[in-house]
Amino acid sequence: MPVLRLPKFGKPVKYAYITGRVRAMKTKLIPHEMYQRMLGMEIPEITRYLEETQYKEEIDLMAKDHSGAELVEYATFANLAKTYRKLLRVSIDEPEFLILEYLRRWDIWNIKTILRGKFYGASDEEIMKYLVPAGELDQEFLEGLAKKEKIEEVIQAFDGTDYYEALTQYDGQMLSSVENALDKLYYFRMERAVGGTLSVGGGLLLKYVRKEIDVKNLVTLFRMNKAGIEASVIQENLLPGGKLHEELSRMAGQSYNEFVRGLEGYPFWGAISDVVAEGGSVSRIEARLRAYLVRYAWAISNYHPLSILPVLGYIVSKDTEVSNIRKIVRGKEAGLSAELIEEQVVS
Amino acid sequence: MVVENIVDGGILYGLIAVGAGLATGLAGIGAGVGEQGIGAAVVGVVAEEPGFLGKGLFLMLLPETLIIFGLAVSLILMFAWTPFA
Repeated sequence: MPVLRLPKFGKPVKYAYITGRVRAMKTKLIPHEMYQRMLGMEIPEITRYLEETQYKEEIDLMAKDHSGAELVEYATFANLAKTYRKLLRVSIDEPEFLILEYLRRWDIWNIKTILRGKFYGASDEEIMKYLVPAGELDQEFLEGLAKKEKIEEVIQAFDGTDYYEALTQYDGQMLSSVENALDKLYYFRMERAVGGTLSVGGGLLLKYVRKEIDVKNLVTLFRMNKAGIEASVIQENLLPGGKLHEELSRMAGQSYNEFVRGLEGYPFWGAISDVVAEGGSVSRIEARLRAYLVRYAWAISNYHPLSILPVLGYIVSKDTEVSNIRKIVRGKEAGLSAELIEEQVVS
Repeated sequence: MVVENIVDGGILYGLIAVGAGLATGLAGIGAGVGEQGIGAAVVGVVAEEPGFLGKGLFLMLLPETLIIFGLAVSLILMFAWTPFA
């Protein structure tokens, strides 16, 4: 798969249309206080509320085949893919290139979904419902993959692409190594395609992505350090390319208390300090870090209003919205208490 | 001959006319540069929120006010101010 390079300097005015559009789209996102109200609703009420929002079309379309949490889950995924494809459709030139580069994460998500589905013997239809064709790989190709019988056939379909090398790490027993390799490939590709160019937009994208890698690594460290896993294993699971990579690598394998003390003073500390002090769960810390990342994306986009950053902010906010709705609905279906669900919701 | 032209105002009138042209012309170019970004952003917002059209048009026309300054300078140069009055 050839990797495109940015052709020329980015001019801020190129971003005027797409940033104007995403700022208008941002106003249609579900307000944070609505999550609180959704926690008190039953699933049919949540579905009715979502019908009054941008999810109406998907819910109406899928209501005849699905119901309850399943309906909400599939409809939100379908809407997410539609929204991201729309962003690609309405952008040209540098913004389009950078948005696609970022949205390739959904290619990785889809490949992982198909591999997991095949690994656990899920049906084709089941797998297809969880696909989000928002990246480069289109619906048709992904459906073709989902219909394949074995994992090996899926892997073979990627022969000649960047993904193939990562996928061949599959040993027939565990998917975690392949999944980790795919994540690393995503960030490596982005660095290769976007980094090293003179484009201002590309530099800003990488600035955000480096922060995102740090946050992901931080969550990995919270999970693995808490579980007392060996430093070398943790370091293997850390994604390279983050701004704090060296420092976070050194924290691998530390005792939980020592690790937490070492985090004081970092910019993200303010977002998690109270949860950490209370001894909160890792998923609660993860939700806080995610909220910090969303805030960060919008905060830096204020410094560069005509750049890729407002678009990234919207992409991240939309992704967070969908995952919040899914968490609430799935939590409700499983009979979890409102407090427990609230802890997981990013706001 | 040059001296004669200056005396009867030929070159000076010409330069005033050029200055008046530049004042309006450059102001127009500047407003255009300002409007290209605003126009693109307004079209983007209106595509999502058609109700924003009125406010968007108003924002888009703001840089046009700069041309009025240029035009005022041109009119002053051409009609109100003259060394030969």
